[in-house]
Amino acid sequence: MSGKVFTMNARAPQQSARTMPLPVLASGQLHEVHAAGHDQAAALCFALSRSSGAGAAVLARMVRSGPLRANLQGDGLALLGIDPARLTLVEANSEIDVLRAGLEAARCPGVAMVLLEVRGRFAQYDLTASRRLALAAERSQACVVVLRHDAQPRASAAHTRWSITSAPSTPLEADAPGWPALAVELLRWRGGVADRQWLLQWDSENGTFRDSISGAAGAALSGAVVSLPAVREDTGESRAA
Amino acid sequence: MDRNAHAAGLSAGMALADARARCPGLMTLPADPDADAGELARLVRAMQRFTPMTSPDPPDGIVLDITGCAHLFGGEAALAAQAAAHAGYTARHALADNAAAARALVRYGRVGEGDVRALPVTALELADDALAALRRAGLRTIGDLATRPLRTLAARFGEDAVMHLRQLLGEAGSPIVPHRVPAPIRTEARFAEPLARTDDALDVIEDLLVQAGRIMEKRALGGRRFLVTLHRSDNARRHLAVETAQPVRDPASVMRLLRERIETLADPLDPGFGFDSIDLAVSRTEPLQVRQMALNAADEERSDSFAALIDRLGVRFGTDRVRRLKPQNRHLPEVAQELAPAMQDRQAALWPDIDDRPPRPLLLLDPPQQVTVVAGVPDGPPQRFRWRGHLHEVRLAEGPERIEGEWWRRRSGHHAGKARNARDYYRIEDAVGRRFWIFRHGLFGEVADPRWYLHGLFP
Repeated sequence: MSGKVFTMNARAPQQSARTMPLPVLASGQLHEVHAAGHDQAAALCFALSRSSGAGAAVLARMVRSGPLRANLQGDGLALLGIDPARLTLVEANSEIDVLRAGLEAARCPGVAMVLLEVRGRFAQYDLTASRRLALAAERSQACVVVLRHDAQPRASAAHTRWSITSAPSTPLEADAPGWPALAVELLRWRGGVADRQWLLQWDSENGTFRDSISGAAGAALSGAVVSLPAVREDTGESRAA
Repeated sequence: MDRNAHAAGLSAGMALADARARCPGLMTLPADPDADAGELARLVRAMQRFTPMTSPDPPDGIVLDITGCAHLFGGEAALAAQAAAHAGYTARHALADNAAAARALVRYGRVGEGDVRALPVTALELADDALAALRRAGLRTIGDLATRPLRTLAARFGEDAVMHLRQLLGEAGSPIVPHRVPAPIRTEARFAEPLARTDDALDVIEDLLVQAGRIMEKRALGGRRFLVTLHRSDNARRHLAVETAQPVRDPASVMRLLRERIETLADPLDPGFGFDSIDLAVSRTEPLQVRQMALNAADEERSDSFAALIDRLGVRFGTDRVRRLKPQNRHLPEVAQELAPAMQDRQAALWPDIDDRPPRPLLLLDPPQQVTVVAGVPDGPPQRFRWRGHLHEVRLAEGPERIEGEWWRRRSGHHAGKARNARDYYRIEDAVGRRFWIFRHGLFGEVADPRWYLHGLFP
């Protein structure tokens, strides 16, 4: 599985689900988004564009993770239709503190979205921790997303697990780089068929991502589609991965 | 207007051109009435050391009622000298039997003059046409007016003029509204026997919070900062301080924050041989009216719980670690926004409209990463660049977007060579589809060997 996560552009979108639209990151669930270090912005963009609804969003991250420090830019957020004022950043000194802050935020009913951004192994994020996050999300109906950069997927209680890479965009006039384009792979989907790929193009007119293969308008992340079933089988917890 | 300015021939209300003509080296600043008012309020508070009865006389005066206070400072003149020294400004003062007379003497009298009757009629602060009429009638001083029957004066210039005149002469009272310092909100519990368990201490703190809440409710206040001091029987003191984003009165929510604070303490709250007394001070308060329940209680609950979350996170990680993006009126991308503590401004700032601006990346690298670049033409976009060992072939490029180095913020920055280098930003996409924001620091021809930096990542 790990081999798949890190292939950068060998994604084959031709087998993109023609019948099934892209599932949304439903609220009340825990989701994982994996990306390589260079695709940090793409992963963040994928996770955040889910939060384009109303309500506060909390992003918990390390004060300094890895060799370079990347700050969110308000204009870039606004370009994706996310009001920067909705976002609260919490910076912690250690990974365990990131987890604590995320859990605290996920338990708060006033928060619509919680993002935990961690680079590398993130040893504290185990089955127990992810289960706690999932339960907190279920109770407060927040959408909890764990962004893992440069990390191997690990067994967890997450409802879905995604791998995001940047994709070549459709050039604008005069060979200018186009709007955001993402290659999205669904690695795991509890209660659904995983291992699917999509190629998403930003639709600047509607302010949503659009599946560039099937061309389903606004289907991508706008929440207009049926969300994932939240009910799991009784034995679901034991086969968490 | 200080002594030096006076000596240079300047006066308040002068046209700027005239002032510049008299004093060529004049430095000017825009007027800031709000800051002036704030400074005056500070001075009023500072003057409380001389008398409890102090009152501002905007825009630039303070009235002190020194009845019964002068002897403490060695007489009236000594008090006035000390007050002027304490204020730290060039100040004029006058002493009189009532506030209106003192005010008129200091504003309209000559220095050292103590007779209200010698003041010009302008001290009545009437309208210009009324003053002209008084002068035409040959009435030049307050003393002239005082000898006339007041009835005719009232008929001609109105009740206010007469009232003011009588106040100046001390026939009518001219009360001041003293600035009163509200009593600090402080509650205390002393114990007959030392309290040996932390849980008991917390119960006592909750009681104190309930008492403080009652005081605050009476004054329609809510606390923003709570300080608990635990006095141990061996004279050691432990302080617990919590701050909140919203003013609160509810003991339970403050207790939650205090418990959180106790958990994050480096060394635990050790009662030792027990606590002798515990006191609670609400050191920062803000108005908090009793709120009517909203019809949709769910929304209110949600925003309340979010504010409480900000408080909790602030207590655990430090208030400067829980932040929000705030737009800044600056030109360079890295300073065009700022991370401000979420606790400070409760109302998040409105983000400026981005429709008419070129796109900006989602993530901005801090500091910009230097990259080695191969560019086709000297002032063209890069063709390939190497960053952290990876070679990126540029497939698409857009630019340049020239961002000047804010020369207007530097002294003589508008002269050539004095400003920081301009930057030429390019939005580029590499062969595998990653989009970057890259800039050349300095223009070709102006800078010998301009460097390239990677500044942002687009999704």
